[in-house]
Amino acid sequence: MANKTLLVAQREYLDNVRTKTFWLGILAFPAIFVVALGIGWVMQKTKQTQSYTVADFTESKIGGEIERAARASTLADFLRAELDKIPKDSEYYRDPQVVAVREHPELLEQGLQAMPEAMRAQLQARLQDAKAKYRYRSPDELGVAGLEREQMMAALNQRVRDGELFAYFVFDKDPVASLDGLAYVSENQTDNELGNWYSRVATRIIQQQRIQQANIPAATARHIREEVDFRPTKPGAGAEIETVTKEEKANKFAPVAFVYLLWIAVFTAAQMLLTNTVEEKSNRIIEVLLSSVSPGELMSGKIWGIGLTGLTIVGSWVVFGVIGVWLAPKLVPSFAELNLLAIVGDPLYIASFLGYFLTGYLLFAAMLVAIGSVCNSLKEAQNLLQPVFLLLMLPLFAMIPIVQEPNGLMARVFTYIPIYTPFAMMNRASGPPPAVEYVVTTALILVSLFVAFKAAGRIFRVGVLMTGNPPKLKEILSWLREK
Amino acid sequence: MDHALTLDGVTKRFGSFTAVSDLSLQVPKGCIYGFLGQNGAGKTTTIRMVMSIFHPDQGRISVLGHPDASEVKDRLGYLPEEKGLYKKMKTAEIVAYFGKLKGMDRSTANHKARELLTRFGLGDWLDKKCEAMSKGMGQKVQVLGTIIHDPELVILDEPFSGLDPVNRDTMRDIILDMKRQGRTVIFSTHGMEQAEQLCDYVMMIHKSRLEFAGTLTEIKQGRDLGIQLDYDGDGRALKDLPGAARVNDNGKHAEIFLRPDADPQQALRWLLEQVTVKRFDYREPSLHEVFIRTVAEADQRLLAAAGGR
Repeated sequence: MANKTLLVAQREYLDNVRTKTFWLGILAFPAIFVVALGIGWVMQKTKQTQSYTVADFTESKIGGEIERAARASTLADFLRAELDKIPKDSEYYRDPQVVAVREHPELLEQGLQAMPEAMRAQLQARLQDAKAKYRYRSPDELGVAGLEREQMMAALNQRVRDGELFAYFVFDKDPVASLDGLAYVSENQTDNELGNWYSRVATRIIQQQRIQQANIPAATARHIREEVDFRPTKPGAGAEIETVTKEEKANKFAPVAFVYLLWIAVFTAAQMLLTNTVEEKSNRIIEVLLSSVSPGELMSGKIWGIGLTGLTIVGSWVVFGVIGVWLAPKLVPSFAELNLLAIVGDPLYIASFLGYFLTGYLLFAAMLVAIGSVCNSLKEAQNLLQPVFLLLMLPLFAMIPIVQEPNGLMARVFTYIPIYTPFAMMNRASGPPPAVEYVVTTALILVSLFVAFKAAGRIFRVGVLMTGNPPKLKEILSWLREK
Repeated sequence: MDHALTLDGVTKRFGSFTAVSDLSLQVPKGCIYGFLGQNGAGKTTTIRMVMSIFHPDQGRISVLGHPDASEVKDRLGYLPEEKGLYKKMKTAEIVAYFGKLKGMDRSTANHKARELLTRFGLGDWLDKKCEAMSKGMGQKVQVLGTIIHDPELVILDEPFSGLDPVNRDTMRDIILDMKRQGRTVIFSTHGMEQAEQLCDYVMMIHKSRLEFAGTLTEIKQGRDLGIQLDYDGDGRALKDLPGAARVNDNGKHAEIFLRPDADPQQALRWLLEQVTVKRFDYREPSLHEVFIRTVAEADQRLLAAAGGR
């Protein structure tokens, strides 16, 4: 790099990095992340207990039975989640006792009584947490017990309207025979969690009763109701198949995160470059600089200086990311199996990310510096930018389809459109694409960069000294032809 | 080689518009050279071509003996008409930065920047940001940035515009100081008094064409003598002066040109009766008058040429 280019780059870099707003911006990223996660957690914690009741007009009073099962199911669901942690291919998973516990919540109640005191207290505390979500209020408690249907419905509707009840469930006919007389009454049409949870329990009870009526042995019923679950595997040596670990799965999806980060980084840096160019132009300082450096030196100095600034931002985010990835398994133990640190440290991913950040940034930088050089104000630049932003959005939409089929047609098409090459190749890194594609795309990127820089240089040279109306496309094209 | 700058048949067009047309000019080394002309006449384009910011479509330019200014950029100093500073940079930093861009090493540039700023009364501002400075101070900083590397040829585009009298004097001193050190200074200006007081040579461009170039004496030679009058009283009477061809009345001072047959002595006697005469000179015309007449003559010529077509 020429000495003067270096001086310009150094100044640009220091000018950005020395400001407080720069570091605030960097800190804002993890801060926003933490706040976003925190808000979700707080929302979950502060969600009001939803109280409900059951209006049971059936002969068999099955509503009451479902209600009891529902309350017990909180415990069952909780333990089932723990049971699910038993590897599915282990012999325990097929253990009749385990299956029995999954199917018969009442066994859990018995088991609970037999638990050591300390363990039970811990379990109760966690159950309490789960139970806080929904609270059942009996018709007695609500003072509607024994009323006629019309009066009871009217009274409950009033409670729902007053907000005293979140919802109530209606059993008009015996659901074991027919599901016609069931209703869920609530004023809230967006939060269906209570309804869904109650439906799951009701399904189980009604199925049990129907099985009994049909005189099907419990073992047969269980056998019929077993859920089909294919174990995810991949071909191994010879006839073998190998289990796919969660880590491997995460690894295959990792490029999505990298592309997203790449996109933000390229976008942020290129945007900074544009703002900087327009500001400098409106600052009237360009001409002074041009008496000392050539337009080419000035342009490349800017691009490198701001590219380095972008790299600093990305670098800081990566540091925060690594801290987050390191902390995650400590806070949420299930993250440990994903082995995120190994993914983040994957040399192919790291090298791809750095290489494609640089090339992606340079490509868009050339475009934006040319746009910036012909605009007199940020407002003008913003108008010209809209089409560029649309272009830049596409890789985001293509992110998931490409990661699902990293060597598919769409992935390949994107790969050979120069402005998308860096994003597409990063996206496909889990494939990974054949080595020959790496060679061809690298050549493609380098050629595109050369052309883009030549063109940007010619536009910049003339545009940067222009004042007044932005030039027409025809004029810009004529600058490109100039030597 | 005794010319700091030579232009030979230089032409620059922007699309169908000709900004500079067939301009030839020599600027001797060690002189102060004034570029005159109306707004849009082609001065800035000429300067930008000299600085290699634009390239001429035709003709040759030689700067300090080199055909391309970019080869000798580090020996040139340039203050453009549109002057700006990095607002967030400190005063001493930015002056040093300009020096470094001209090839000075870091420590020399830093040291020289502080020394220059202190010498020109900005010692208290060394570590303050440029955005805090007044326009006059900012302009001073820009000029110091232009000359920090002791350039052999300095080109200043409108250095006096927008300056108060004190800062104008500082600017004038800087220019004279450079001349004394044997450097060549070119500046463009709309202030005819400054040009008249400072310049060894002046040239004037009108509508892209060179109208005249030379020493002040050469330019005024052969032109009508005029009355330079300082007066008190009602200036409206002046235009009734018998034999007057043209009167430039400024309220307290007037420049009056007589018809060839009129007698300046009689004019003086007439003037004494009308106003209180404080000073009466009969001599060569001012640069201001030369400028105005050149514009009028050139426009007439262009009009005639257009009509004759």
